[in-house]
Amino acid sequence: MKKDEFYIGYINQIPSKIKRKLKFTVWILVLVVIVFAVVFSFFQNKFKNSTFELTNVSEITGTFHSKPYPSVRIELSPNDYKNVLLLGFGKFGPDKDIENMESRLNSIEGKEVSIKGNLIYYNGKTLLQIADSEKFPVMKKESQLPERKINSLGEIEIEGEVIDPKCYFGVMKPGFGKIHRSCAVRCISGGIPPVFTTRSKEGNSEYFMITDSKGNKINHDILEYVGQPVKVKGALEQLDNWFILKLNVEDIELLKGNSKIYSN
Amino acid sequence: MGLNYQLVLWNKNKKVYDRFILLFVLLYLLLFWGITLITNSNTSLETLTIRSSGTLAILLLHIILSIGPLARINKKFLPLLYNRRHLGVSMFLIALIHGGFSIFQFHMLGDVNPIYSVFTSNLDYSSLHDFPFQVLGFLALLILFAMAATSHDFWLANLSAKTWKTLHMLVYVAYALIVSHVFLGAFQQETSPYMPVLMGIGFVVLVILHISAGIKEVKKDKQTYEASDEDWKYVCEIDEIEEDRAKIFIVDHERIAIFKYENKLSAIHNVCKHQGGPLGEGKIIDGCITCPWHGYQYLPQNGQSPPPFTEKVATYYVKIEDKKVYVLPKPLDEGTEVSPAIIES
Ligand code: HEM
Ligand code: FES
Repeated sequence: MKKDEFYIGYINQIPSKIKRKLKFTVWILVLVVIVFAVVFSFFQNKFKNSTFELTNVSEITGTFHSKPYPSVRIELSPNDYKNVLLLGFGKFGPDKDIENMESRLNSIEGKEVSIKGNLIYYNGKTLLQIADSEKFPVMKKESQLPERKINSLGEIEIEGEVIDPKCYFGVMKPGFGKIHRSCAVRCISGGIPPVFTTRSKEGNSEYFMITDSKGNKINHDILEYVGQPVKVKGALEQLDNWFILKLNVEDIELLKGNSKIYSN
Repeated sequence: MGLNYQLVLWNKNKKVYDRFILLFVLLYLLLFWGITLITNSNTSLETLTIRSSGTLAILLLHIILSIGPLARINKKFLPLLYNRRHLGVSMFLIALIHGGFSIFQFHMLGDVNPIYSVFTSNLDYSSLHDFPFQVLGFLALLILFAMAATSHDFWLANLSAKTWKTLHMLVYVAYALIVSHVFLGAFQQETSPYMPVLMGIGFVVLVILHISAGIKEVKKDKQTYEASDEDWKYVCEIDEIEEDRAKIFIVDHERIAIFKYENKLSAIHNVCKHQGGPLGEGKIIDGCITCPWHGYQYLPQNGQSPPPFTEKVATYYVKIEDKKVYVLPKPLDEGTEVSPAIIES
């Protein structure tokens, strides 16, 4: 007569046939675990090499401008200038920090200052998350740089996506698209400047700070268009290493489907 | 009902089970992190954490959902069922890491409450393409939490088996929410076809397992006998029941298990008081009917758990005439002593 096997969890001896079945099951499960791990890890889209120096505080010296968004202008080489966008902690713009600075030093508009913070950089753009605005900068000086020149480049209409530059140029992987959308909404809602990005046929991305048609900052009005493929149109300007796009929010058109930057 | 949930204690088999859970979790994480760091090294620790835990949780959920039907299709899989709750709690904790990190990463340190942000940062609730997928994950996580929090037998004893079971059937709602969470979320942007294909295979396997188990269950019922009045009902020949085992019969929509042991027959209600396990698929061990699911025990002659336990199931009258077995379909009060029918050799 065949043995009448019966498994009871709290009795340690597992009947031999059941044990064999369990061993077989364990090997199948090992295989399943491997397949899942390989598929979900290997087939992820490639990440960008954007960097956020979270643990490293740097100091940058340059001329402060609050428009269109707070930034520090530095000279890379004669006649080559770069605007470093300023950001607050977490998902906030720099307003609170600039308030701190100006309560100590009065207006720093157009003055040379040394600001401390954590650098964020990718693809030629640099941003700074301000640190220690209660203490730094300790002084302001007259600016050493010539006046800024803003060049008008006419009207344009382009497709791309509104991103928050802190995450996009920094540590969020991915820092754009559907996965990241709600975070970008939070950041822009908190005062981080909205940036428009596009990708040309040659694969080069262009970046535009977005303002309203008069050049004032926009944050809340643009939230419903953030993180999705859109077509925008407006007046294009260039300020050193940044484009500025002045637009009417009503002119933004939501596109269905994946935005071109998904191929990143 | 007493507090006899201590019955299911820690023991060697549970420890082995737990060690395997840990091993599988580590194997998965090692592979995921290793492969990502080697092939896609610009990733971040946060993304690695979010993605490895999210995908591991859904893998574990597939395994958890397979165990029930597997054990019904083939009893040799019952040991997988035995400690499934630890697998469930592990899965919840891993999903919590995924959800917690996502909320931290995408919603904290901002201008509104992070939970409020989960629900309001994307308001395209009427669009499938742009749907706020994180909300679906959040709701699923709440269900998994409720299940993990009530998984201990203490709750089973205090919520009533029916409420408990209903609560735990919500795992299928959670599964649906999570599948939508992934298809409307990550898969809209991570465009490799292999991930959705894998999830599709997982779904098909689950459906096949559940259908096969269902068919098996229906067939089992067909083999049994229908009876509905208070007369003695003929059910089978004595020889059809194996020693120390039972046959199950449906009478008035209730299942009755008739056990044969030591030249005697006893009949009890088939449903275990613990989690409703099929007692008639159990075995007599040390003189007690032992449930196949977690080993709760009952004395055959009165349906009572041996002291110090206090579970009781209903008993029935059985008699033997001419090697034929008859049962009286009317259940007696739970725990009523009934003299076993003696088998004359
Ligand atoms: C509070 C609850 C949750 C939130 C906020 C949340 C958020 C997210 C986010 C933002 C992503 C995209 C991440 C990326 O691709 O980089 C994601 C993906 C995913 N989620 Fe969730 N989720 C939650 C709950 C869950 C639960 C309970 C499960 C399963 C048990 C789950 C399984 C997944 C899977 C499998 C993915 C796709 C793979 C991945 O990208 O990680 N999520 N979730
Ligand atoms: S012992 Fe758990 S259902 Fe019977």
